[in-house]
Amino acid sequence: NPAFFRSTLPVLPLLLVLSPVNSSSCAMGNKTTEIRVKYENILSHDINELVNMSAENRDRCCKKYENIKVFFCNDTEEIESLQSMACNMLRFFSKHRISKAFRWKAAFVSCETLQVLQCKCERPKKER
Amino acid sequence: VLRMTQPSAVLSIFAMFLHTTFGESGCTSADGDGTLGDDEPDNFDIDCFSQLEIKDSFSSLTCNFTELPPYNTNYTLSLCTKEDNNYACSNMKKQEDAYFLHFNDILSNRDVCMYSEMKRRVCRSLVVTDIVKPEVPFAINITYEREANEYLIRYCTPHSSKKYLKDKLVHQVAYRQKEGTWKTIESPYLQIKLLGKNLENEASYEVKVRSQPNGDYFKGTWSEWSTSKSFRTAREQYSTESYSSVVMVILSILGFMLSVVMIALIVVFWENRIKPAVWPNLPDHKKTLEQLCKKPKNNFDISFNPESFGYVHIHKVDGLWAKAELENFLQPSTAPETSLPEKFRSGSDLKMIPAMTDKNDLNPPVSYGGAWPAEALHRLLGTSQFAVTEGSCSSSTYQVCHGNRVPLHNDGFNLSYTLSLDPSGQPHPEPLNDDTISQMLPDSDMRSPNNEEAYFTVPNFYKIQ
Repeated sequence: NPAFFRSTLPVLPLLLVLSPVNSSSCAMGNKTTEIRVKYENILSHDINELVNMSAENRDRCCKKYENIKVFFCNDTEEIESLQSMACNMLRFFSKHRISKAFRWKAAFVSCETLQVLQCKCERPKKER
Repeated sequence: VLRMTQPSAVLSIFAMFLHTTFGESGCTSADGDGTLGDDEPDNFDIDCFSQLEIKDSFSSLTCNFTELPPYNTNYTLSLCTKEDNNYACSNMKKQEDAYFLHFNDILSNRDVCMYSEMKRRVCRSLVVTDIVKPEVPFAINITYEREANEYLIRYCTPHSSKKYLKDKLVHQVAYRQKEGTWKTIESPYLQIKLLGKNLENEASYEVKVRSQPNGDYFKGTWSEWSTSKSFRTAREQYSTESYSSVVMVILSILGFMLSVVMIALIVVFWENRIKPAVWPNLPDHKKTLEQLCKKPKNNFDISFNPESFGYVHIHKVDGLWAKAELENFLQPSTAPETSLPEKFRSGSDLKMIPAMTDKNDLNPPVSYGGAWPAEALHRLLGTSQFAVTEGSCSSSTYQVCHGNRVPLHNDGFNLSYTLSLDPSGQPHPEPLNDDTISQMLPDSDMRSPNNEEAYFTVPNFYKIQ
């Protein structure tokens, strides 16, 4: 029936348009050398600053045990674990009343981590 | 159905067109390279540099047009970041002829885009960490180290207290004499040394410093030059090397002269002083005896006291004759016999007396001083009389002639004594003169062949060791 084909022909393009874009969470893959260089020269310094600042807010961050598991690191899945930690830190600290400077620094480190790993979160990254 | 089919077909085709144009790549350009360029080529020339942590944790981007666009063209520069399908841009602020922008993300890949009225958008990609321009060094300090004759140049950089470029810079120091040509030295440290021997004395110099990323990760361009600092070199740049060489030369000359003097002294005093002290000569017994038997000097002092020999009779004798003459002289005379004590008239007694005399009996066996046992005489004068050293031999005038028939000298000061016995039987010293001799000399037959002459001259008595 010619009418059947004419009616079903546009469906395929629509399916192609409506289908989700096939994008991986992290695009770095096995580029560990590039990741290490960026970490050593840039990211490590900011993480050290965040660690020093967190010492002032130690009691606030680690009072609840359930908050620790969001930063769990799986062996052989370092990149995915780091992605998860960065995204969790973005969401986690936005929910607590912590000093603005600390929250901003934590978000900055999270964004830098995701940038180094070339990863994305499900939710948009927090920007200044 | 046909009416519904036609719009759906158009819609699907349009959707397919959109899918190909808008996708994960986010590509909106026809060239398909991922950049935000139009179909027209990006032909704007700009020169940009970044400054990390210029203000707290914010970095900056400064761009200049190397070729100014047409004067009447309105344009803007933006720093853009690609995020998914979105393209986030921040407009740069124009400051005189440059465009300036603060940002804090130095990891993301950036594009600088120019918006003009004629062109839609022209972009050029850039990596912020590859166009780093450090901040200017400051606080140049110059110190002169006199001992080493060196000039220590120290300086500071703002990045020493920051995160990213600390210990990641190389510094260039330029110096010159006034109005001279610049000379440069590069160092990763915050100080360098200029050798004084390479600089002129008492001259004025100028120094300035700039920095650049070392290229390990951060790359970029030289910073601006610091403010110049002037200094004046020392008046006397006395090189330690030349000073030490002069000292060495002087010491060498002194050492040589001292060695020459020592050699000369050794040669001069070798035979007389050095050799005897180092290798003393062994005593020569022959020479020693010769010294011992030296004849006394004339006018030698006499210090013989007969009274010290109280147990013997010592008679002074004016002269000594040979034994043979003495015998001939005394042969016919019997007078001495009458003067002799009865005790000694007998020649046999005379003969016997020497044999009877022992070591402890020092009574002389003769009254005329002719015979005296050598043994007793030796005891009287000391058994070690012949152990005289050379030194004492030279002053000794004691002489004993055992069986010596050679006439002796009759020096005026020589005292010749013989021993005789008093009537009491005690010997007493008596000077021996001619008369005494004539009275005292016994017959030759009465002489004991074992007795020896006991005449001795004592010009001087020394303690014989």
